[in-house]
Parts: sequence; C-alpha cells; structure tokens
Amino acid sequence: MPKRFTRAVFLSMMGGCAVAAVSGKFLLDALNARVKFPIRMLGPSMNRGHMIRDGKMPKAATDAERTKTRVTIIGGGMAGLSAGWWLKRNGFADFKILELENEVGGNSSFGKNGISAYPWGAHYVPLANPESEYVRMFFQELGVIQGVDANGLAIYNDLYMCHDPEERLLKDGSFQEGLVPRRGLQPSDKQEMRRFFEVMKRYRELVGRDGKPGFAIPLDLSSQDEELIALDRISMAEWMKQNKFLGKPIRWYVDYCCRDDYGSLPEHVSAWAGIHYFAGRKGVAANAEMNSVVTWPAGNGFLADKLREMLNGKIETGSAVFNVSSTETGATVSLFDVKENAAKIIECDYVIFAAPRFLARHLVSPTRRDETVSSPGISAHAERSQNEPLQEQFESAQYAPWMVANISLKRVPEGKGVGLAWDNVSFSSRSLGYVVATHQNITTQRDAPTVITYYYPMAQDEPSESRRILLERTAEDWSQLILADLEKMHNGITAEITAMDLWPWGHGMIRPSVGYIWGETRKVMKNSMGNVYFAHSDMSGISNFEEAQYQGIEAAKQVLARVMS
Amino acid sequence: MTYSLLITAFVISTCGLVYELIAGTVASYLLGDSVTQFSTVIGVYLFSMGIGSFLSRYVDKDIILKFIQVEMLVGLVGGCSAALLFMSFEHVENFRILLYALVTAIGVLVGLEIPLLMRILQDKLEFKELVSQVFTFDYVGALLASLLFPLLLVPYLGLIRSSFLFGIFNALVAVWTVHLFRNDVKGTFGLRSAAITVAIALSAGFVFSDQLMTWAESSTYQEPIIFSKSTPYQRIVITCKGKEVRLFLNGNLQFNSRDEYRYHEALVHPAMSSLKNPENILVLGGGDGMAVRELLKYPSVKTIQLVDLDPEMTKLFRAKGLLSQLNNDALSDPRVTVINQDAFVWLRKSKDKFDCAIIDFPDPSNFSLGKLYSDTFYKTVKRALKPGGVCVIQSTSPYFAKNSYWCVVNTLESVGFHTTPYHAYVPSFGDWGYVVASIDKFEHPAAYPANLRYVTDESFRQMLNFPPDMVATEKCVNKLNNQKLVHLFESEWGEYVETF
Repeated sequence: MPKRFTRAVFLSMMGGCAVAAVSGKFLLDALNARVKFPIRMLGPSMNRGHMIRDGKMPKAATDAERTKTRVTIIGGGMAGLSAGWWLKRNGFADFKILELENEVGGNSSFGKNGISAYPWGAHYVPLANPESEYVRMFFQELGVIQGVDANGLAIYNDLYMCHDPEERLLKDGSFQEGLVPRRGLQPSDKQEMRRFFEVMKRYRELVGRDGKPGFAIPLDLSSQDEELIALDRISMAEWMKQNKFLGKPIRWYVDYCCRDDYGSLPEHVSAWAGIHYFAGRKGVAANAEMNSVVTWPAGNGFLADKLREMLNGKIETGSAVFNVSSTETGATVSLFDVKENAAKIIECDYVIFAAPRFLARHLVSPTRRDETVSSPGISAHAERSQNEPLQEQFESAQYAPWMVANISLKRVPEGKGVGLAWDNVSFSSRSLGYVVATHQNITTQRDAPTVITYYYPMAQDEPSESRRILLERTAEDWSQLILADLEKMHNGITAEITAMDLWPWGHGMIRPSVGYIWGETRKVMKNSMGNVYFAHSDMSGISNFEEAQYQGIEAAKQVLARVMS
Repeated sequence: MTYSLLITAFVISTCGLVYELIAGTVASYLLGDSVTQFSTVIGVYLFSMGIGSFLSRYVDKDIILKFIQVEMLVGLVGGCSAALLFMSFEHVENFRILLYALVTAIGVLVGLEIPLLMRILQDKLEFKELVSQVFTFDYVGALLASLLFPLLLVPYLGLIRSSFLFGIFNALVAVWTVHLFRNDVKGTFGLRSAAITVAIALSAGFVFSDQLMTWAESSTYQEPIIFSKSTPYQRIVITCKGKEVRLFLNGNLQFNSRDEYRYHEALVHPAMSSLKNPENILVLGGGDGMAVRELLKYPSVKTIQLVDLDPEMTKLFRAKGLLSQLNNDALSDPRVTVINQDAFVWLRKSKDKFDCAIIDFPDPSNFSLGKLYSDTFYKTVKRALKPGGVCVIQSTSPYFAKNSYWCVVNTLESVGFHTTPYHAYVPSFGDWGYVVASIDKFEHPAAYPANLRYVTDESFRQMLNFPPDMVATEKCVNKLNNQKLVHLFESEWGEYVETF
C-alpha cells in the first residue's frame, strides 16, 4: 500500500502540474490583460469652481491692482471666444477675455500627445445651414469653406470633411456601416424606420406660417408656429409613443441620438429638441453629401485654438472671476489671478458673461462689494430681485454630467464586420462608443498607434445624483468601467492600451428639458442685467458650437451697439 | 461510481461536440463557404461515430482498458486537431483529405466511447435506467458544448487553445477512469502515466499555442526565408531560391526578381521617356529602389527624392549585398535622397517641384490606403509638378478589378489631369494597370533608353489597348469622404479571394 500511495502522490502531482500549467497560462493572460498603463484623472479645475461657488476666493485688498477695459468677456469657451472674435472683426479692440482654466476652449478643449491631438468634448460641426450665417463667415475666414461653386454651394476643405467611413455600429457581434440598426430587423421595424426618417424629412423641409424654417440652426431663428412650439411641451419619449414609434430598433436609435447630443434620455428631453437633432441640419456642400460633418483630430479644439490665435493678447487664462457688479456707469469685475496668486479688479463699461449661465447666481451681485466706488447699481438690483424666482427655477435647470476618456492605443481597433470608422458605437452599451482622433490622417502606415476618445454621458440617473457618482468614482473605478465596456466591443483591447486620461464634466451640457426651449425661463435668462450681457449656449438650451457662437455674437452685437452710440 | 461514470459521459460528449465544431469552423475559415464545410464535416463526423459504434461490438475483453485507451487517443487526436489543421494547410496538397481523415478518426473514436461506457455500466444499472441516464448526460453535454463554443471558447481562447483544452479533459477522463477502476484493471501505473503524459503534452500545446502558430505562419512561404523583420510599419520577408528573390510586405508579394523588370520598366519609362530632359524626380513608395534603378537610366536626371515611410526598407535595399545588386546600388547614387516620412505629410510641406512623380503605393485594400488614391491626394501631387510635368500611378489590375482601375483614372481626370491608361503583363502579378497623368496632353515617347528588356515603342502601343473585359461598368471619383475605391476594390478582389 505505501508504494501505491507514493505512486498515486507522484501521479497526482504530475496531473497537478498539467492543471497548474493551464491555469498558469490563464493567470498569465489575465495579468497581461491587467492595467499596465498610466491612468490620469484630469478635468476642469473643480476646486476653483467650487471655491467661487462657496465664496472662498480671497477678496480683493484695497490696494488690489485695478485696470480698465471697456468690455470684459467672462469665459473663454466658444461663446466668449466668438464674442471676442466678433468685436475684433468689427474693429473694436478694447476688451479682455477672462478664462478660469489654464486653457481656453471650454467644451471644445483638446489635448495632445506623441500620437495625435484629441478632443475633450465637442468634436465636429455639421455643414452650415443656409441660415447659419455666422458659422459660414467663420468657416470662410478659417479656410474650412474655400469658396463657392457655380450653383452657389460652399466648397469645403476636403481635408476637414469627415473621411469615409464615418460611423459603424456593433450589433449582434459584428460592426455594420452607419448608426441606424440594420441587422436582424423585422419588416415592421424597417417600416417604422422608414416612416421615422420620412417624418423627419418633412420636419426638415417644413416652413412655418411665419415664413421661417421649422427647425433652424441657431434655434432662435426657428419658426414660432404654435403647432411646432407645442412640441416643446412634451418629451421626446411621449412624442414617440404618440406617433407609434414603438419598435426596439427605432427607440434605440432615438435614445442614442438624445444621449449623444443632449447627454439625456428621450424621457427627459423636449420633443422639439429631439426632433431638432434630425430636422435641424440642412447644410449642403458642393463636394459632399448632406449630413456630412467637418472634424479635426483635436475635434472642435481646432476651432478654439484658431480663435485663441486670432485673439492673441486679449485672453487672460487662470482668471477666477468671483464677483461681477453692475453699476449705473458700468461694471466691476473682481477676480483672482491664479498665476500671480493675487486678487485683481477690472473696471469696465460692459460685461459679456459667457460662462455657464448657472454661475451667474453665484457671481453677478446686485450691490457693489467694493466700497471705494460710489452707490450700488440700482437698476441691476431691481432686475435681480425681479428675476429671483426665475433664478430659482433656473437653478433647477439640469446639466448632464459626462465622463470623457482619451485612450492611447498601440494600433487601431478593427473588430468583426466593417472596418474602423470615425465614430464607433456599440448597440448594447450605455456609452456612446468612441471617435478616432487619427481618422483624418492620410498615411501610408498601417496598424499605426492611435488615440480614441470615449464618451460616457451619465444619462440614467438624476443629474445631481450622477454628479455625485461621477466625482465619487476614482480613476481606477472609471478605468475598470470603461475597459469592461471596450472589451465587449474589442476583445483583448486592454493589452493594446498605452495610456488613459479621464476628464469628468460635472456640468457637461445643458439639458433641453420639456418646456425649456420655448418656455419663460430661457426668455428671462437672455435679458441683460444692467451692464451685464449673457452669452452662452445655455441660453439656447442646446449645447453645441453653432448655438454658443450665436449667443456669443448676439451679445457682442448688443454691446457693440451701445459702445458705438 | 455510477454517478462518476455518468459525469464522464457528460464530459466526453462535450469534448466530442467541441471537436466537431472545431473541425467545421477551421474548415470554413480555411476553405470558405461555411454551409458546405459545416454540413460535410458534421455528416462525416456523425457517420464515423456510427462506424465507431459498430466497431464496439468487436471489443470483447478488457472493456475498461479499451475505454481508457480510447479516451487517451481521442484526447490526443482531437486535442491536436485544430493546430494540426492550421499548420498543415499551407503544406498539404489536398487539405480536404487530411480534414476528413482527421474528422473520421475522431468520429470513430468518439463513436466507441458511449457504447463502451454503457457496457461498463450495464451491471450497475437496469437497462431502462442505463439508456435514460447515459443519453441524458450525453445530450446535456452536447448542449453545453454548443453554447460554450461560440460564446466563450472561440472569442476568449481561440480555436487552437480550445481544442487543446478539451483534449486535456479527455486525458483527465482517462486518468479518472484508471483511478475508479484501479482494482479491476491491470497495469494501472503504466496506464495512468500514459494518460498523464498525454495531458501534459496537450497542456504544453495549450501554453505554447502562440509560438506554434508563429512557427506555422513563418513556414507558409514556399521558398527559404533569407531575411525577415517586423518594423513598426510592416513585416518584411525576403525569400530566395536559386536566382529568384521575392519580397513580401505583410505577406503580400511585392516583387519577384525574375520578372520585376517588367513591372518597373512599365512603371517608369512611358512617363519618363515622354519628357524632354527630366531633371527632378519624385518617387512615392518604392523603397526597394527598383524604380530608382530605372530612373537612373536617364542622364538628364539631377535629383531623385524617394519618400518611403519605413527606414528599414530603404536601409535594407541600400546596404551592399544581394538586394542592392538587384537595384544596381541605385539608393547609393549621389543623385538620390531618401526621405523616411509619410508621403502625404511630406508632399504638403515640400516646396520642391518635379518633372515626374512615380507613385507606387500598395493597392487600396483598406481605408487608410484608399486616401492615397483620393482626388485630394492627386491635387496635392499636381501642385508639386512643374508645368508640363507628368506622374504615373500603379493602379491595381484592370483585369481582376476593372472598376477599381478605372476609378483611379476618373479620379485623376476629376482634378484636371490628362490621363493615359495602360497595362502590362507581369507573370508574378498577372495583368497589371498603370495610369500616366499629365498636365499637358501626353506625348508618346519618341525613344526609350537603350537595353530595355520589356518596354519598346511597339510593346507600349500594345499596352494602351484595353480589350472589352477590362472596360469599366461603373464610373466614380474616389474622395476622402466617400472612399468609393476601397468599396469597389473590396468587392472586386473579394470575388477572387472567395473562389480560391
């Protein structure tokens, strides 16, 4: 027996070795797949923002540096930059743009590494509509639009127009072309899809009784036809139900589009806004199909950077404005210069407040805190108190939180089905998938390293709850969540990653809730307070380049009119 | 013990079905046409199981011993099946014979398993119970296998590892059975050792499957490899047999030294000879220096700038040796400047102007290569040409991909070039297409350099003739935002790839 026992031990050891070798291999693979790359949590300087909110900014000493500028623009996002661009273009140079962060751009910020530039937020602009005059003006100046053909159609720069293939969707295990689900559809689903796009086409071509387009870009130029405005009073989900769009594929598609453009679910988005996504874009080009977009490796950071160059010398970054007071004769802006670690005061005639609108509650004060200058601004005070309930209401305006990640890869992720596109989406994911920063490159290199920008709107919960979760999760938590999602799209992608940067957007974009776009709140928000004018896409209710630019330029126009008079 | 044996039935049926699925999948991967492959593999497999069941009647003695031996064999043959099929594909003249032989062998062995197992169990259970229980476990195992295979095994392990893994399971069943019947079977030590050896061998296969595959892939080249290197941009492989040197990039043949003169003479001379005293020449792609060799036959040439992304390529073909003999040391000529950059990026920044540009990129088989055939790219080339300048583009085969070929011609015309399409026969490639794109109307060369082996006035005139089977049926312009060419190329070459 002992002999046999030894044998048995020997043999089971051998067997154990075999099992160990196999499981060791598994373990080794698992280790290989483990995170071996640096993860960085970047993002807007929430500290600075929260210090302003909580009134913790160091107050200006009496001997604080005082400067005079006729117009102060607060906020260096697209609205503020566009306001500056307009002033400069119209020969007015006595202005400053104050930006809280160390770089301008706001939602059009971008980053750069050894592989490519990449966006931190907005990453494309559709072809400009006939009514989008400012966009066309700007594009012409930048050479995005290079001329006009014999039919009067704009000729866009080929290098900036999104190269084919634009989009692909991972559904049922393989990638298909385009984002509209095509595989495995019931005839009734297909029929519904067709009907949906027909309805949208009608809305796109619709002209209201006032002669204006039903859905315009910027949206303020849209028809005020009561029939259309009524769409703002129901949710997109409700509209879908009323119009019998009930199939899963069409509901997925609309859900995706609402999350993509508004960071929110169709249940929380006004039907007017939901339809605007499909019916608003009418841009055509001499050298592209309709629905084309222009894009750059840095996304709309390209536009922000061009504006920054144009406005050289006018921009003060690291300027944490903590108080704006309107007086009878002008306005006083108190700020903390982060770079010099000193409080400063700017006296000006007019302020263009191009920061997110919800900040006005914390920053724009009716009375002057600065005792050295005479009486407080009565008019502003009056307006403020008059606006108070609406301010409250606006406080309830909701901002969708987002997580954006830029992920460097050793090579492009191909996957089953059609090849890598610019925008790559998974049918089953709560994320919006990713865009490829190197998509616009023209290169002989195959299998080149790339950067993908991954978008995750936190659309499911209440925004305040989502915001809490967004900040509570560590870089490690987020990377695990993102990797799990990406692994479902591309098995083994973790091993290809060389770096991951994260950018949490607490107030990513305004949510066009039911009643927001054509309701009272937005109307009142647009009103100036004394010498303070408001400019931000929040006043449109839709967060994109065209709206931000429009709000910025409209505010600049009003200020310019008063400066000139 | 009964319960243990029923579990055994469950495991072996899972293994059996996995082998069947592996064979079917490998066959459709390698041979295409999955419907045919799957149905013939399943048919042959099931039929072989029938043979196995029939043969079980001839096993009279030592049933347990035979069962253990069968398990070991199934593990060995089934476990190695995927690796064997993949590795032999390139080397076996008639792959199907091997495939069906393997499927038959596995099928016969698997067919023996259940009858033997039932006979082992016959004294332990009532007949009614026996049949019911064994088949229940058998079919449940089959269900498990059919779910595991597409959901876990193929995506996470791959075919080769899956097959090794299930081979290991079979071997472990053998070990387990030896253990169960340690008192009934003679020579347990030998049996157990053999079974464990099989398990270890299969585990080794499982662990080193990547290395196995790499080795298998490197042996897909028919000729001896004299050089191979993976650069950040591509995998360069050079083979040599007798006097024939072949260059492969990412597995695609770039030239064969026996007939490359045809390709490169046809690429360079019609464009170059049409010019009076060309001085400044641009070559995009063509890091092997063969096109440069042809260009140096023109005494008027003062500068040649060669733009090729991969420094390894140009270094390889510049270094003195077998390869530089092929291009007559062209890359060491003082007139030649080698620029290792991306062609488009370099061209956009360059302020130089050229009399002639030779564009020799890989075929537009993917979207990034497709951009190098776009109207935007050709506009950039046009800006880099001197007045009266010409360029020539290798533009895939007008026989295999006629619409792709003519799409290149149309795209060149769309940016204002005069085009002169022509094609030449290169045995290694087949009928190959080129386009001369010129700023002024193309003038037929009056004379060619002396000692050309292929291009003459007469042969070039023949190259200009396109028979009806090379005439386009579709007309389109390739743009960055439509990538028409890549879509066409995929569909046209796809037809040929599928029939192989």
